[in-house]
Amino acid sequence: MTNHWLDLKNAKVLLIEGSNCAENHSMSMKWIMKAKENGAVIIHVDPRFTRTSKVADIYACIRPGTDIAFLNAIINHILGNRLYDEAFVKLHTNALYLLRKDFRFDGGLFSGYVEADLKYDNASWGYQLDPRTRKPLKAQGLDDPDCVFSRLKDFYKRYTFKVGSDISGVPQETIRKIADTLVKNRPGTILYALGMTQHTTGVQNIRSFGILQMLLGNMGKPGTGINALRGEPNVQGSTDFALLFNVLPGYLAYPNHNEPTLKDWSKGSGTFRAKFMVNLLKAWFGDAAIAGNDFGYAWLPKKNGKKNYSIFRIFESALEGRMKMLYVMGQNPMVTNPNLGLVQEALGKLDTLVVADLFMTETAAFWEKPGTDPKSINTEVIFLPAASFLEKEGTITNSGRLVQWRYTMIPPTGESKSDLDMIDLIFRRVRDLYADSKAEKDQVFKRVVWNYPKRNAYEAVLMEINGTNLRTGEPIKGIAELQADGSTSSGCWIYAGVFKEGKNLSKRRNNKLDPSGLGMYQEFAWSWPGNMKILYNRASCDAQGRPFDKKNAVIWWDEAEKKWAGHDTPDVLNPAEGPDKPSGQRPFRMTGEGVARLIAAPYKDPDPNIADLFRDASSVPADGPIPEFYEPVESPTGNILHPKVAVNPCVKYPRIKSGQPVGTVKDYPYVLCTSSIAEHWCSGSMTRNISWQNEMVPESYVEISGQLAGKLGVSNGQRVRVWSARGEVVVPAMVTKRMRTLDVNGTEVFVVWMPYNWGFKGLSQAASTNLITIDAGDPNTWIQETKACLVNMAKAEGR
Amino acid sequence: MAETRRKAILISPESCIGCRGCQTACKAWNQLPGQKTGDPANFQNPPDLAPTAFNLIRYIEMPGDAGQLRWLFVSRRCMHCGDAGCMKICTAPGALSRTKEGAVVYDQDKCIGCKLCSASCPFDVPRFDGRDKVVKCHQCHDRTAEGFLPACAKTCPTGAIRFGDRGELIATAKKAGYEKLYGETDLEGLGTLYAFRETPKTYGMIENPAVPESVVFWHRVLKPLSVIGTGAAVALSLIHYIAVPPKRDEEVKRDD
Repeated sequence: MTNHWLDLKNAKVLLIEGSNCAENHSMSMKWIMKAKENGAVIIHVDPRFTRTSKVADIYACIRPGTDIAFLNAIINHILGNRLYDEAFVKLHTNALYLLRKDFRFDGGLFSGYVEADLKYDNASWGYQLDPRTRKPLKAQGLDDPDCVFSRLKDFYKRYTFKVGSDISGVPQETIRKIADTLVKNRPGTILYALGMTQHTTGVQNIRSFGILQMLLGNMGKPGTGINALRGEPNVQGSTDFALLFNVLPGYLAYPNHNEPTLKDWSKGSGTFRAKFMVNLLKAWFGDAAIAGNDFGYAWLPKKNGKKNYSIFRIFESALEGRMKMLYVMGQNPMVTNPNLGLVQEALGKLDTLVVADLFMTETAAFWEKPGTDPKSINTEVIFLPAASFLEKEGTITNSGRLVQWRYTMIPPTGESKSDLDMIDLIFRRVRDLYADSKAEKDQVFKRVVWNYPKRNAYEAVLMEINGTNLRTGEPIKGIAELQADGSTSSGCWIYAGVFKEGKNLSKRRNNKLDPSGLGMYQEFAWSWPGNMKILYNRASCDAQGRPFDKKNAVIWWDEAEKKWAGHDTPDVLNPAEGPDKPSGQRPFRMTGEGVARLIAAPYKDPDPNIADLFRDASSVPADGPIPEFYEPVESPTGNILHPKVAVNPCVKYPRIKSGQPVGTVKDYPYVLCTSSIAEHWCSGSMTRNISWQNEMVPESYVEISGQLAGKLGVSNGQRVRVWSARGEVVVPAMVTKRMRTLDVNGTEVFVVWMPYNWGFKGLSQAASTNLITIDAGDPNTWIQETKACLVNMAKAEGR
Repeated sequence: MAETRRKAILISPESCIGCRGCQTACKAWNQLPGQKTGDPANFQNPPDLAPTAFNLIRYIEMPGDAGQLRWLFVSRRCMHCGDAGCMKICTAPGALSRTKEGAVVYDQDKCIGCKLCSASCPFDVPRFDGRDKVVKCHQCHDRTAEGFLPACAKTCPTGAIRFGDRGELIATAKKAGYEKLYGETDLEGLGTLYAFRETPKTYGMIENPAVPESVVFWHRVLKPLSVIGTGAAVALSLIHYIAVPPKRDEEVKRDD
């Protein structure tokens, strides 16, 4: 979230797209309903009329995987009719920056496409640079044909309401109504979840949100922003701490094979982040990390920069016989991964599988799946009983970046242990096994600092994450204190300050102090970074540092005190540097440009202090600088914008020869969308073992419209066979008015929906929906396209 | 009843998101087992109140404006009537009683399992466990007596279920634009109030709830006789015959 949960109440309009928050983030509704009580308009865009749609003022039924066509039509309307916030756009975005003249978009492809690699060489997407300063050149006005804004307008022209409607199935008048509602009601916020990300255009979907909010001036202010609703059990916290294969804690890039030294790494990541890398290395390697040995950078394993290490490749590597052992904790991929047939086959190719969980999950028991002969599987499976969230302490970070301490309620049951205890025991044992080794590759085990005390181990880890000023021995007070010379340490730079002055601020519980009335509660727990509640809040002010909206001011430049002040931690590099300094005009200071990017141009900001290195680089999506609509890999229709480039041109699918078939509309005429429900959580390994939850939703099902039910000759509750190119399941049909038939490109499209929470273990068992879903992935994040694939259906025989 | 101390639950279907946190919270606090439910194709589960389900969300689908769908979520549970038919007809002293907060609570040790309370309830609420003892929502009197919210109100994320001083809840709802609350005056005021934008029927509730005449008759005439103790068994069977209405409540049928 750019903003935070409580801030939802400050919005005048809430666009909920790709999220069923009433069911899957029910607590969000506490604040959404407060906004509604204050007169806010709720818009829900979803393929299915859900419990979220129930409270919405405007509901739009959309075909899965077409969000960009829908949003681009709104953006085009705003651009074409000058409905944007011109002051905000000119000041806080790259609208005036001049793009290179060789930037093109033609026939569904941006310039620089390398077909053999399914990749772009993105040089032509860059800015025209001042040859001396290497800074981007800027236009005088928004009408300069080479400026970002003009190129953006040209690009979006194709997305009329009709095009948006033909592709998405949302009626033209509904798109117009939503566009006008967003324009008329500001501040406005956007909420999304996996409904937007689980697509082969997942990153570009969210980029559309970014462009829309920038044009409306909806960023950095209360009631605005782009708010990702993240999974309850610490999804935000785990991504902060390198859950993904391509990052280290604090989103520092994972070192590649072609970056053998820290300087090489800095060439890719910039000097701004190199400082935090040094602090991470100091936290991990302690006294062994010195400037002379690159702070131990060489001891980090390097990944092959050309390879993808995502969860898909884990199983594909096992299938190829190149992965021998897998340790799974906090995950149940035998239910949650798409194309499950492939996962099961892959698990059977491992020598050893370790699973730590509360219950014997489908992953731990993959060899017991009905229809499997356990004798044919040679994988040794080790099951480690894990402690539940009630049986351990530690922090949990919510979607709003709020880091809260949770206490142990009861000691772990039976032989179960907390994850930290398990990892600690395993690490110490491995270190002992290498104790006598003289090989250089094994020395890392001796160099790494790992001596957490038996008591308060969790707090000791949080202290390491916070970091220490190694000169004074005091806990780090904030990011600004971190140094690049090895005199400070911090295990995750964005968390620096959570242990300010030796106090664990995540334990604070002041729910009274909110002088702004905006729900900031600065002394309730602690938010990263620096207890900031609203990211980019500098953008809430004009060039002089005066709030655009005086009534809902969050920060401002206090001329008398000569500092940025307000109800929130100001999002500026140095609170004492005002609007007259360059750092006082960088509302989006994590980009190279310091402003928001309507077009995501590749740009590296030169470091004034180090000649051959740059300070920061702006992240550029692999699949284009502007969101373009592409059909899902399995689609019921052609791409009317560019038939020859129907699917995201950077997506490689199938990745392996066998096991990844692609179905066509001829054999699989219906669109399947999948997601979770309020009553069961994720793979259901916990909730399907709670009889209360099973009472409410006893088994899996497929939700279909009355029209489709009529066509199939199926009535409510009858069992149906649902199959795709990859597998099949038999489940009862839930025939409802909540599913609709869509008019897409002039033809009728039936969308069906299934929850994915079931498997063959636990108190409630049913076929896993993911047996039929597709494991195509977004080229940036490798997230699965489980929101849109093709299936066929028929009444189940003899049932 | 002394309105000053009376507590109530206010249910606002417009704010309800149907998450059913209330159902789970109720089971957790009252340690009720989950029941096997058969039909996954229906949203509403369990289908009706049960000895193991003191509250439930009813899901009502109907056509809305301009071809749009309208979906209503209504929490159903004991209404804790000011003029409670169940208490009127109950022949077992102390089996049903009223707390000082106004909740109608039960004592299973004193219940004789005659089921007259069920027959006399305009809302078809009381259920009977495996030993034929009465069970139902008791407004978490074991929590509220200690100053805690009822489990359902505590867990509700949107404030669709609120607990508090009855008078204050009514005043708040009126301020929010509800002219008259369901249960505001019916049956000497219900302890479960509903803020409806439209007719109670829209939300699946009966209009003008009343205690059956036969129950009133029993309460006035026959009950005093039975308490004397003569021919209690005869009186009971007679009353059962009179009081059990031939038809069930129409609101229950609507969900089929």
